[in-house]
Amino acid sequence: MNLFGVLEISNSALVAQRQRAEVVTSNLANAETTRTLAGGPYRRQHVIFGARRVPAGSFGSILGATRDLHAQGVQVERVVTDTTPPLRRFDPGHPDADAEGYVSYPVINPIEEMVNLMGASRAYQLNVSAVRATKSMILQSLEILR
Amino acid sequence: MSWMTTPLLASLEKYLDLNTFRVTLITSNLANIDTPGYRTRDLDFERELRRAEANMVPESLLPAVREVPGLLERPDGNNVSLERETMLLAQTQLQFNAGVELLRSKLRGLLNAINEGR
Repeated sequence: MNLFGVLEISNSALVAQRQRAEVVTSNLANAETTRTLAGGPYRRQHVIFGARRVPAGSFGSILGATRDLHAQGVQVERVVTDTTPPLRRFDPGHPDADAEGYVSYPVINPIEEMVNLMGASRAYQLNVSAVRATKSMILQSLEILR
Repeated sequence: MSWMTTPLLASLEKYLDLNTFRVTLITSNLANIDTPGYRTRDLDFERELRRAEANMVPESLLPAVREVPGLLERPDGNNVSLERETMLLAQTQLQFNAGVELLRSKLRGLLNAINEGR
């Protein structure tokens, strides 16, 4: 129950949303990638968020000791790979074409990814304004000392 | 109770404490706005303040936190409302500022009393 712990919560959300934006942009960048290290075309990735306690040992939680039981941050629990079968396009001249002349492309819908990216960006802004609010409260409480 | 810790100062401290705790809950809700299955949590501010004023809660005990009923739930089981949380955050921030100002003016009064006696 202290304001530095509150910053810790918003920070966890900023990190998680940035990771989401990273995954989405790599989906967009690889929309036409037919070769990956694992072989085959690129596969779309999703992030899964999960609520979690603010980690012990962080600055805020040391100050707050055991009182931060209700402080729940967020983290990326897993990055899941989409299992949808790849899109097959007829292009016999392509170096990655199979025996029948079809090339496997990733199934990525740019609109879906853009919407996801906007969601991540808005959620990031939201948490930045939460940080701003907390910061002004900390500064205000310092005024007591004056 | 010494001359410095007047009942007003003590209850202002509780008021600020409770506001800080509420900000913890609101930022948790905001952080989890995209977490599947997360439920909005809040406390009954008036009730907890009354309980704290009446010294019914031991210092070590946290205020009672409950899930907020009646919010629209999204298909992924999350029911965090952006509008509700941002409004509450602004409100709590202002309440906190008001509490700090009251505390300061009270302390300034004490300081005046000390200085005027010279």
